[in-house]
Amino acid sequence: MTEFSLLSPIQGQKGVQGIIVANSEGIPIKSTLDNSSTVQYAGLIHQLVMKARSTIRDIDPQNDLTFMRVRSKKNEIMIAPDKDFFLIVIQNPSD
Amino acid sequence: MSATGGKEEGKRRCPLLLRPASRTLNTSVSHGGPRGAHQRSRQTTSVLGCHSRRSFSLGGSKVLEKNVVQTPRQAVQVFDEENNDVTPQPLYQADPGAVQPMLFVDEISVGSASDQPTATGSFTLPFSRSVFGSSRISSQSTTESVDDEDMFSKRDIPLSFPDVKVKKDTEKEQVTEDMLKDITEVFISETDTFSLLDMPSSFVSVDADEAEATIARNHQYEEVCRNRVSRDKTVERSVQTLTGTTKNKHVQSNGLMVVDADVCMSTATNVTICDMCEPLSDAEQEETAGICNPVKTDHAEGVTYSSRGADRSVSVGSTATTVSASGSLKEVDVKALNAEMEWELIMLSETFQLYLQTVERSILQNSFHPQLAAYRQLPVLGDPESPVKNEIVEQRTGDTDGGPSLQCLWVFSCELSRGRSVSCMTWNRKNPDLLAVGHGEFNSGNQKPGLVSCWSIKNLKWPEHIVHCDSAVTTLDFSANSPSQLAVGTHDGSITIHNVHSQDNRSHGVSSRDSPNRHLGPVWQLRWTQQEVSSTGEEKVEALLSVGADGRISKWFSFKDGLDCIDLMKLRRIQNTETKAGGKRTEMMAESVLTALTPGLCFDFHPTDSSIYLTGTWEGLIHQCSCSNSEQFLETYRKHFCPVNCVAWSPFNPDVFLSCSSDWTIQLWKQHHLKPVLGFISAQKAVYDIKWSPKWPTVFGAVNGGQLEIWDLSSSILDPVIVQPAAPGVRMTSLLFSSQADCVVVGDSDGHVTVYQLKNLNVGEQSQVDVLEDLICSAASR
Repeated sequence: MTEFSLLSPIQGQKGVQGIIVANSEGIPIKSTLDNSSTVQYAGLIHQLVMKARSTIRDIDPQNDLTFMRVRSKKNEIMIAPDKDFFLIVIQNPSD
Repeated sequence: MSATGGKEEGKRRCPLLLRPASRTLNTSVSHGGPRGAHQRSRQTTSVLGCHSRRSFSLGGSKVLEKNVVQTPRQAVQVFDEENNDVTPQPLYQADPGAVQPMLFVDEISVGSASDQPTATGSFTLPFSRSVFGSSRISSQSTTESVDDEDMFSKRDIPLSFPDVKVKKDTEKEQVTEDMLKDITEVFISETDTFSLLDMPSSFVSVDADEAEATIARNHQYEEVCRNRVSRDKTVERSVQTLTGTTKNKHVQSNGLMVVDADVCMSTATNVTICDMCEPLSDAEQEETAGICNPVKTDHAEGVTYSSRGADRSVSVGSTATTVSASGSLKEVDVKALNAEMEWELIMLSETFQLYLQTVERSILQNSFHPQLAAYRQLPVLGDPESPVKNEIVEQRTGDTDGGPSLQCLWVFSCELSRGRSVSCMTWNRKNPDLLAVGHGEFNSGNQKPGLVSCWSIKNLKWPEHIVHCDSAVTTLDFSANSPSQLAVGTHDGSITIHNVHSQDNRSHGVSSRDSPNRHLGPVWQLRWTQQEVSSTGEEKVEALLSVGADGRISKWFSFKDGLDCIDLMKLRRIQNTETKAGGKRTEMMAESVLTALTPGLCFDFHPTDSSIYLTGTWEGLIHQCSCSNSEQFLETYRKHFCPVNCVAWSPFNPDVFLSCSSDWTIQLWKQHHLKPVLGFISAQKAVYDIKWSPKWPTVFGAVNGGQLEIWDLSSSILDPVIVQPAAPGVRMTSLLFSSQADCVVVGDSDGHVTVYQLKNLNVGEQSQVDVLEDLICSAASR
């Protein structure tokens, strides 16, 4: 399936501000936001995911992080990490 | 040691010193002449004793004061108490000699000193001052050299040799003049280990004469050891480990050149995207692409969804063409290729698809948060920050004041199903969030292909699974034993069992199309039931039963590649002849040669005894039959004079059932009573579907063409408690109650499935079953 049709169901949802797919080092591969925001989000969220993942694994080494949702005043960031990539979606539900 | 090391150049005459650290022993050799055994010994001796356990070199024979001795250039001689010459011998001697029991440290000849500067130059640093540890020779020869080693190592003797430095300078001059011109060859080699002191212990036999004396002496010695004042002056010493210098590593990569491409989503663009869809999709998907075109007026998301109808298999080659169409970043750089390849890999991975699905559900959960919370019967916590939510909260509180009402929570609808009438709906037996909806138009002349869409509460925008059928879908049922099996009955009489889990939309399930016994007319209802195997009475085998327009009730089982059936019952047409003598009726089974069969429209199995079932026919009769008797009906209930559209046993009261018919009425029956107990009529429209509420025994819902009615027998038997009119131009066609929530799901002729929540249905406090019983009794007695 093409990238357009893969990401578009999500992008078409109400309030979705952007989708970023980054590789495991935090370098963005695909994004629907502008470059500077993309790089910023990818870099910062990469660190957050690493920290969260190490936290989970420190508590129980058999456990692993599967999904993260960060709810803020203005929007919600959903992060789905994997060993090869991670998917970031930013949504403002009250839009 | 360090000091001496530094000065070794200066002290040519000085006797030898340092040995490399690897040596087991170190000796430091004094510098300068002897001033006496005492002073000398301190500097001369020593050992960096740590390595050797066996022996240690001792310098002077006495304990040393902390004097710093300067200078003397003469050879050093060390004497011990008995004035034995115990001067350390040079250790670098080619022939170290045999291991001797006594210390031998010799004076180091001056001649050898010439070798020193080069050879020993490197040894200086590691030898700290501790080497100049005291050389206490204890006359008591103990082989416990550990103590001594400690002593040696812990001495911290500040050394300063100012004069020596002066000498060093003068000496140095000599060196430079003479020595540097020559090329000196230096041979550094290891010599053998030699012990400087070896005092083997002597053994005395217990029986010998000296034994007692020896033992006494030993004891005495121990006493002395215990009692002596510790001469240790322990000094704190710290060791510093050298940390290597950190090395910073920088990595650089070329920056990505990014070009933003905006896509303007106007209607014109919609068309272009549609056009792009077509070459990508398979031939089979032309249908869905065809739907694109009429939907031009929709906003962007509509179009994007239609393209989703294509298979989820990834076509790698086509990526290049569509990247330009999307609004994503355009990577012009060479490095972009790597990113593309990575992207391809990611797109292909299953986890990515899964994550997309999860993220989509999360997004939808956020968007529909209040409705989902209402469905799940959870309180919606007001968002303290946003002022928008307050409206919803207020509206909600307003609702509780009014009477019983329905609140629309959401509508399941998508492009695929728009325009296709809903014919049947069913919940999954195992996962109560999964709803299967069958679409099919079978009242009209043209037969459009049918569709089954499986919706999940978690994704309100797009069905989880879609199955295209060749003809209109008339009935659906999920299996209880294998919850992903969905049996679909269609207008052309075939029954197909699909697996809802399978990702491939094109796979056809097991079908009865090729069976010789298949239904000749539309299959009106299907049901999976647990049938007890009669022999053991314990096993519950699940069987698929169907009732069709050809008047047969059949039990299906899988046979070869398809399904085959055996007939459980044939619905014979019963001709009712009434005698004129009023009231008396005689029935005559029309046993003519051509036994006509009447189409069966619905059936329902008894909640407790699964071999008894009711079936409603085209004639308006309701027959009660048993699975074990395929010839005769157990009972026949007559009241309706139009086709009975639905029968339903009450889940709470096993004797009671409801039936609805196209003659505008709903009848409440009690088993074995051939006349209905109660009849309900509200609108002058054919009632299509009727269902009992799973939660309240006296509540049931009915849907006729124009409205949804919720009846509550405990409050009124004449009028429905809630009436929800259908949207204009739309007919409501089917109804389901939700088992988890106080919700009602209604399907209509436009393909929409609406979820309503029942509010304020103030069903009485007392046990509802009793109420129903009372009602029935009172009604029956009338």
